[in-house]
Amino acid sequence: MISGEQLPRRSLLWLIVCQIAVMLPHLQRIPLWVVAVYLAAAIWRLQMFRQRAEMPGKWLRLLLGLSGATLLFMSYGTFIGLEPMVALLLVAAALKLLEAIRERDGYLLVFLGFFICVTHFIFTQTLPATLYSLVCTGLLVTALIALNQSPGVGLSNHEPLLALKMLALAVPMMVVLFFLFPRIGPIWSVPSKSGQSITGMSDFLRPGAVTKLGRSAEIAFRAGFVGVIPENSALYWRGLVMSQFEQGAWRTLQWHEMPEVERKPIPPRVLAEPMRYRVVMEPTQQRWLYGMAYAESPTAGVYEATDYRLGVINPIEFQFGYEVSSWPKALMQPNLSDWRRRLETDFPEGLNPLTEAWVKDLREQHADDRNFIAALLSYFRAQPFYYTLEPPEILSADFVDKFMFESRRGFCEHYAYSFVAMLRMADIPARIVAGYQGGEVNPLNNTVVVRQFDAHAWAEVWLVGEGWTRIDPTAAVAPSRVEFGFEAAMDGQPGFLSDSLLSAYRFRGIRALDWVRLRYDVLAFGWQSFIVGFDSTRQIELLKGWFGEIKVSWFVALLLGSWAAVLLPLMLWLNRQRSVSLMLPEEQRFSALCRRLEQRGCSRALGEAPLQTLRRARDHLPEADPLYLALEGAIADLYRR
Amino acid sequence: MGMLWWRSCVAKSMLSPASPKSGLKNFLLQRYRRWLNRRLPPARTIVLEQRRLFIFPTRQGFLFALTLLIMLLTAINYQNNLAYGLTFWLAMLFIVAIHFTHANLLKLEITGVRAESVYPGQHAEFCFRISCSRSRQGYRAVKLVWPGSEVLVDVPAGGEIDVSLHHKVTARGWFSPPRLRIESTYPLGLLRCWSFAYFDVRALVWPQPIRVERLAFSSAGKAGYDLSEQEGLDDLMGFRDYRIGDAPRLIDWRSHARGLPLQTKLYSSLVDEDNWLDWQDFPAGTVEQKLSWLCWLLLQHHSRGENFGLRLPELELPVAAGDRQRDRALRALALHDLNGESAG
Repeated sequence: MISGEQLPRRSLLWLIVCQIAVMLPHLQRIPLWVVAVYLAAAIWRLQMFRQRAEMPGKWLRLLLGLSGATLLFMSYGTFIGLEPMVALLLVAAALKLLEAIRERDGYLLVFLGFFICVTHFIFTQTLPATLYSLVCTGLLVTALIALNQSPGVGLSNHEPLLALKMLALAVPMMVVLFFLFPRIGPIWSVPSKSGQSITGMSDFLRPGAVTKLGRSAEIAFRAGFVGVIPENSALYWRGLVMSQFEQGAWRTLQWHEMPEVERKPIPPRVLAEPMRYRVVMEPTQQRWLYGMAYAESPTAGVYEATDYRLGVINPIEFQFGYEVSSWPKALMQPNLSDWRRRLETDFPEGLNPLTEAWVKDLREQHADDRNFIAALLSYFRAQPFYYTLEPPEILSADFVDKFMFESRRGFCEHYAYSFVAMLRMADIPARIVAGYQGGEVNPLNNTVVVRQFDAHAWAEVWLVGEGWTRIDPTAAVAPSRVEFGFEAAMDGQPGFLSDSLLSAYRFRGIRALDWVRLRYDVLAFGWQSFIVGFDSTRQIELLKGWFGEIKVSWFVALLLGSWAAVLLPLMLWLNRQRSVSLMLPEEQRFSALCRRLEQRGCSRALGEAPLQTLRRARDHLPEADPLYLALEGAIADLYRR
Repeated sequence: MGMLWWRSCVAKSMLSPASPKSGLKNFLLQRYRRWLNRRLPPARTIVLEQRRLFIFPTRQGFLFALTLLIMLLTAINYQNNLAYGLTFWLAMLFIVAIHFTHANLLKLEITGVRAESVYPGQHAEFCFRISCSRSRQGYRAVKLVWPGSEVLVDVPAGGEIDVSLHHKVTARGWFSPPRLRIESTYPLGLLRCWSFAYFDVRALVWPQPIRVERLAFSSAGKAGYDLSEQEGLDDLMGFRDYRIGDAPRLIDWRSHARGLPLQTKLYSSLVDEDNWLDWQDFPAGTVEQKLSWLCWLLLQHHSRGENFGLRLPELELPVAAGDRQRDRALRALALHDLNGESAG
């Protein structure tokens, strides 16, 4: 074969379209100059195509490559990591486009395009991203077909249609492979995503930390319930349990900070049937999960901490799904160890002198823990405290003093912070729990969609005989927050959803849109939990459900079956011989007579004129043979035509 | 399917050009050719049936497989289901492409229509007709390849198309074209489907004309004649109507300029009954030389529109003129003394 054939001109247009299409979804995570390089390369190549520009010389190309790499290093400071690698791939593809002269450059660009599509999936696996990648794949296959068209074939819809057809035919076998291919763990460790700015809960709590989440309608997670969804006021999704107060902020106690004996969680005794649900979380880059107390998860990789929260070893970089069973009535830690009691009642003295004096006073009136808590809550209720998304900023160390006696305007974390601090001053074990509260119920698939603005902080108090008990001071100030959700409490307030101006959620309440939104959410949840969240556990479950046992022979049979079901009929159809003859009726008659002539031992030579055939037939056949006469007539008809 | 792959493997392994030095390789190559000849016998019309087709991934196909492997490793390492999905999809696209590439040659019909007669050293043109008997799908980007000549064509569904390929010829006589390779990588370029075909079409190669100055020896004892141009022509005898093939310089252009129809001038030598080109006139020289001289002489006669006859040891062409006479004479010369070939 002659190597180094020229890139067909027509396929170049498809290649440029593909390259831009596969680059677009990466826009949000690459430096802008990469886009500029891309467009410049595409325009230059188009000018070359129109013969208005020369291909850059070898040295210039080398220089471009080197400066691209240098710029990348300057932008990221490293080549290790997913984003720099993707950017490197994109720059390489752009420069390759510039020097795509030969046919094999075209192939290389297409294969590079496939790989860029895969890198996109590492960042996001949502339904829209998938659909977009389907389009990209179609374009890339189209470019591949255009590369193989013979020259002189004009632009037509043939290539995209054929690409679609071939891709569609590959789907059944792909589905079989997808569900049956064994899911094994990572073979080696791979560069992970760098800490992108993800909206979400942080691992410490200081005033103002949750407030900023109130401005975003991004989805935090979805929970699909097996049974009845509890009331909104019971939907407390515990994420972090913060027992440690340090430098004006609350944080979770680290594992290594605990004494040896405290490290092992003691699961409570559970008797009743649990609530069962599956949570599919959006990536958070954090190591904790959400669940309603008391929660257990059978999903591999999920562990339980001593403070009854769920966690994972590695940060959640991709959508992550896990099963949860919750027992709301279970007693969490009915017996408190001395160490834990000390930990949960520890609050620095002298920081908030006013509050300390006031708490001491109140504690003398209410020696009983429950009475004291009730008094504290009624104080919140009675005094002019406001629940607001835009509280005045308090930066001084005596936050509780300032909040309780001066501003009295705050968001959930302000209340939780002050409440827990005051309980600890009164020597009652208490801690802050950060998570989400409520969520939008989608009745179509029995799920709860929890968004960032559902972020919430509340308190857990340890009571004799009840263990850790949830008490939400915010509910005392703004009962509607807990009863009807954040949205109902905040609607119309300045700042609400100010970070999600274009979110579909802003337009909630419009019936047609809600209809679409809820249905889309059903799809998205199904996608996330069934396709994206498909793992070896679910695979084994699925295969056992279908076949009872897992056998390699089943795998082979299914794959061959899916092949035979689709491709065999297609090939038969494609290769069907022409059923309608293209010959004229006169021609048909003549060739039929020629066949008879051949049986008589006088075959018609290739390319022979009919009259010549007739002449030879006359020599060959006896005088006035009917076949000869018929032939004569047929030829006469043929010429008359 | 399995058969298909096996066959392609065999074909591939035996395709590598063998050096003449290696005895074993030569032996294998001969065996392979004999096997191929048995398998794919020469014919006028060849239909590319299932058993004639071979298929194997191209270099790009292997590169594609490498890309898929990298994609699969990415999917495994990132535990990314959509990456798995895309990888499997493309892998299965490859399987679909096997069928499409195969179908792009299957049942293709090729007929060797004719071959042009030429002189040695020229390129003979072979004309092939490619037709598609399928009603739904034509053939795209089908390549016919000979060493040094290839052609890429599309055949519409139910249609036919004529293409010509050239091959350089060297020796006088019948030239049988080499094995023709018919191949296609359409639609994805990841696989190549091909077949070989020998066609029962031969090109006649005339002897190389070699200028001869003077017939020094004449068997009949006549004075040798010199047909070189400076000698000029004999006396003008008269005119006759122009016939296709008459040499331009015999045409009476003057009268034509006056508006008369084309007339050809007749010279005395044209009607010379002794215009015999005789093998016996050349006692010296090799067979090929004699044929080449005769060839040159007869072309000279023809270009002047003269009558001539040809006497060869095995046959005699009566005196006549015109293209038909020239072609018969050239054919007789071309096939002279070739065993097993008749001049018929």
